[in-house]
Amino acid sequence: METPILGPFEEPEDHHHWLGPIQKIDTLMRRFKPGEEVDFVIVGVGSAGGVLLQRLARAGFRVVGFEAGPFWDTERDWVSDEAGSSKLYWNDLRITGGPDPITLGANNSGKGVGGGSVHWAGFTPRFHPSDFRVYTEDGVGTDWPLPYEDLKPYYELLEREIPVSGPAYYPWGDPHGYPYGQHPLGGVGDVLIKGCTKLGIRVVAGGPVAINEGSHGDRPHCIYRGFCIQGCKVGAKQSTLVSHVPDAIRHGAEIRDNCMVARINVNDRGRVTGVTYFDPDGNETEQRAKVVIVSGYAIETPRLLLNSACPGFENGLANSSGTVGKYLMVQIGNVVLGRFPDLVRMYKAPPAHALTEEFYETDPRHDFARGFAIQTVGPLPIAFAKQMMVAKGAWGWGMRRVMMDYNHWSALGVLGEILPWEDNRVELAEETDQFGLRVAKITFRLHDNDKKVTQFGVKKTTEVMYAAGAEEVVQEPRYAHLVGGARMGSDPSASVTDKYGRTHDIPNLFICDGSVLPTQGSANPGLTIQSLAARTADYLIANGAALLSSHPERVLDSAPPIRYNLSPPGTFWHGMPTFKTRSKARKQAARARSR
Amino acid sequence: MALTRPVGTLKKLQKTKIAVLAAGKNNQFSQGELLPRKLTREGVVFEQHIREGRFQRSLSLIAAFSSLLSGLDVLFEHYKGSFSQPIMYTPIILSPLLVIAGIWGVFSRWAARTVLPIVSLITMLDGMIGFIFHFRGIARKPGGWRLPVFNIIMGPPLFAPLLFGISGFLGLVASLLRREDDPAHRLLPGIPRPRSAWLSLLPHSITREGVVLERDVREGRFQRGLALATALSALFSGFESLYSHYKNNFTYKIEWTPILLTPAVMIAGFGAAVNRTIARTLLPLTSAMALVSGTIGFFFHVRGILRRPGGIKKPLYNMMYGPPVFAPLLFAATGFLGVLASLLRRAK
Amino acid sequence: MKTLKKRQDTTQVTAPEALKGTDKPIDTKRLPVDSQTGQPLPPRAQPGYYPGFSTLSQQTYWDGATRKTVLARVHNVPPIRFFTPDEARLMQAICDRIIPQDDRDEAHKISVLNYIDNRLYNRQIDGYRFEDMPPDHEAHRLGLQAIDAIAQFLYHQPFIDLGPLEQDTVLKSIHDGSPPAAHAIWEKMSVSRFWMLLVQDVVDAYYAHPYAWDEVGFGGPAYPRGYMRLENGKPEPWEVDERRYGWQAPATALSDTYEPIGAEAPGHHVQTPGQEGSH
Repeated sequence: METPILGPFEEPEDHHHWLGPIQKIDTLMRRFKPGEEVDFVIVGVGSAGGVLLQRLARAGFRVVGFEAGPFWDTERDWVSDEAGSSKLYWNDLRITGGPDPITLGANNSGKGVGGGSVHWAGFTPRFHPSDFRVYTEDGVGTDWPLPYEDLKPYYELLEREIPVSGPAYYPWGDPHGYPYGQHPLGGVGDVLIKGCTKLGIRVVAGGPVAINEGSHGDRPHCIYRGFCIQGCKVGAKQSTLVSHVPDAIRHGAEIRDNCMVARINVNDRGRVTGVTYFDPDGNETEQRAKVVIVSGYAIETPRLLLNSACPGFENGLANSSGTVGKYLMVQIGNVVLGRFPDLVRMYKAPPAHALTEEFYETDPRHDFARGFAIQTVGPLPIAFAKQMMVAKGAWGWGMRRVMMDYNHWSALGVLGEILPWEDNRVELAEETDQFGLRVAKITFRLHDNDKKVTQFGVKKTTEVMYAAGAEEVVQEPRYAHLVGGARMGSDPSASVTDKYGRTHDIPNLFICDGSVLPTQGSANPGLTIQSLAARTADYLIANGAALLSSHPERVLDSAPPIRYNLSPPGTFWHGMPTFKTRSKARKQAARARSR
Repeated sequence: MALTRPVGTLKKLQKTKIAVLAAGKNNQFSQGELLPRKLTREGVVFEQHIREGRFQRSLSLIAAFSSLLSGLDVLFEHYKGSFSQPIMYTPIILSPLLVIAGIWGVFSRWAARTVLPIVSLITMLDGMIGFIFHFRGIARKPGGWRLPVFNIIMGPPLFAPLLFGISGFLGLVASLLRREDDPAHRLLPGIPRPRSAWLSLLPHSITREGVVLERDVREGRFQRGLALATALSALFSGFESLYSHYKNNFTYKIEWTPILLTPAVMIAGFGAAVNRTIARTLLPLTSAMALVSGTIGFFFHVRGILRRPGGIKKPLYNMMYGPPVFAPLLFAATGFLGVLASLLRRAK
Repeated sequence: MKTLKKRQDTTQVTAPEALKGTDKPIDTKRLPVDSQTGQPLPPRAQPGYYPGFSTLSQQTYWDGATRKTVLARVHNVPPIRFFTPDEARLMQAICDRIIPQDDRDEAHKISVLNYIDNRLYNRQIDGYRFEDMPPDHEAHRLGLQAIDAIAQFLYHQPFIDLGPLEQDTVLKSIHDGSPPAAHAIWEKMSVSRFWMLLVQDVVDAYYAHPYAWDEVGFGGPAYPRGYMRLENGKPEPWEVDERRYGWQAPATALSDTYEPIGAEAPGHHVQTPGQEGSH
């Protein structure tokens, strides 16, 4: 059998903790003493948790991150195999119901350090300025308690830290450029570009994705292997595991992996005192902390808050508004599949590499509000077979036949905006998991506007597919992503946290993850979650003294400065200079001020 | 520039031509008899200039043009590499500098003797540093040098920095030549130029070699050097076409032509360094073919760009990710170099 | 102080020998037929349009962890521990209709049943359960009972004794959302969601196997060597060009048609299990 030079590639035989072919954790992780009180506890070291951990550690705080899953060694733990990657996902039980139930597990929620950023496909568009004002502009959904301009510097910062590769000019929303260049296209990208240019729809190629186009420190250039959703062994696709966690460890953060946090403890003065968790051996232990930040994502965060109910907080922590678990959102994720006479081989290249947001904003000519994006997706064989099971009703010989044709198919994903509805919610079920904690029960229903967006999105994407030369086009209903459940807002009676993620009810309890999003646009939420985490971190650091004192309710700085000096090393001297753009709204505001 | 020579010397030239013909050393004039007189007159003078090493301005312009092409190539490639290391900016900065130095050298003797060689040397140095970085870059890809074929194709283009350095080499050579409009009596052949006092600090053997080499170049006797440069340039640009066309799975049969021509040009180039006949026969033949092949390749690449998804509607993206437009032009430039080399004289 | 309960090992049930007979006679009525000649196509080592393509031949180019996992999947097939011998026989017959492997020779048949059994034995789930479904292991047991009940209702024989056409008819009734029997079971379990669970489990096991990758032309694991020819479906140097051949499903099959799941079931709108493989 042919082999590479020097024989087959083997697992590393040393004792280092590897995060890619070159990158490894090169410092010993600090361990706090048992019983020692720390400054911050972060529940969940995922997309937001990883960024927070790094920022707080770099600023000199004593911080422990708890993660229910393992601290991955990518060389040893991850496999370049679809079926062998289920350990990356949160596969513990959740009950899902309602008229249009959502699904969870694979590619929906992550488990392990890096969380969802380990398995995300890596699209990183920003939200549009209109997403922050959906209620004011379109009369649906709700407004954010902060404008786009407040989050913009953090978008720019994270786009440098990740780094995001994309076109030099991204025309939608607040137009901007990216610090890393565009990626080459795969078969699916070619289909999207061909179809869109034929129909005169603006489309961008090669990004924006959180995948290196060019090396970044010890993280090599993407090798176009198409296993993004199975975890990037190369380290080219960003997860906070490879971008922020190493820097956090270097600055003295501790990560306790395989530790499930069961409860947040509150004292009789209504302040959190720490968390109770199950260590890897299953022993229940307590960790005291001055501030607790919950970053468990849209299901686990409300579940933890509800499971932490205690005297004084009978409905769960931070739930005086009754909105913990409510206003849950997924995005419409129908996949339109087309068969082409020539081969496509859609398993090559990252699944995420081209998109169009031409239909993102509300179009007054339609009878629905908001819109959708069209993105490339690249299902591997097992996922594709399941799509065919629904899209064509394939089974038996029909399934064998369509699967033999796998290389002729291309898939485009609709990503549509579902508005926040109160009845889409997370609650506790009666069943308990292996830790004796009540599991989450999700109820979901599509409303009229959502269905109209779906219909139009599928129609448009089908047109694009045919324009690109497909001879047969089918589609399957699906959801994508998952946000909301502990939303932020300026009104404490209708939201759980304020604009920095601080819960209205408990001054030293914060929530910082996808559950705080009040609306979601039709953009993948990953970049927004990480940017919000950096913003919350700046707030925590600026107000650290107050928060860590015995009077955490006293906040001195409600408009903290943006800390550029806390970015991981090498952030600013890799990549291209990007030019600062001023958004239209800011220009208008500036003009208004000067009058 | 040829027309600055007074007509009277033309008769002297023709006498020399006959004498040379008689000597049997050069039989290229016979074809010229068939062309119109004006063309041949120009061609004769031009060729005389080359043979006497009197074409600093032309070579300076060629170096500038070559630097423009390879600079644009590097710009596209390093943009695709997202300037992930700050040093990737150096060829982008140096290339326009060399272009400016080259063009300046056309108009100013002083610039051609000072600015041009300095920028050219820095360019050559940058090319060598780039080669080391690209070698290291391939090692740092997953699998590294244990997957040589895959990582040479998908990693940083290995010989591209050296190809970039060739334009610096051309500029350096240009700085040593005499200019087309130098009066004939100035600096007679055989007499070395006045030298800088600093050079007396070097050991005598080096300075002596340097003097001989420099005089040879100045008198146009550097056919060997330029033939070697042609061979190397063919190696660097041909290797790039090999792995790029292999990456494209040789979809079009014509993609084989630069692959087949490269060893031919290399043999001609290396052979010309040792053998005069090869220099006058094989070298111009293969180089002319490379020149034609590169030009044809340029048109095919443009066609390929237009055929990409989106075609002309995504001009910048398709130029960057379609077939590289400057690569075949650089291959053609190699051919041009070879033709030029075949017209030179050899060192004694 | 709570401690996690350690898993109790139940007694293992080994696979009945009859399921893996090497000298079983080939039933030509179950073979696909050549489109042009109408003759049954003999079973082969590698069906599909990529003759000569082998992902396993590239295993030295995979990283160590991946190679270990994939080779274990090929060589260390887990024993049957969840299903009883009767259930195993019935489930095998069902799997053979959900993904027929009659065009594969004995040496290259893919063990689907053992992997489904393994998942159910280890109680591995996909991270969610629909509120109108029982847990997966219960759902499969109920499904087996329902399928046998439908077979009895339609043909007065157990499912395993039916011919392929009858077996397909039974299964198709579930696919279409209108099963004619076992209504008590369908009270506890959504028909189309059970169907999707069943098909999903079978394709999970089948298309995870390198032989299936070879069949569909999928490149297989790709680390540390990725792909260089990304566009226009060009093959990598070690991949193979497509060579199509025309084939029809055997006349004893009903499954070579494409109709939506639950087409006969009023009001139910289908939804894909899972978000895997997309955004």
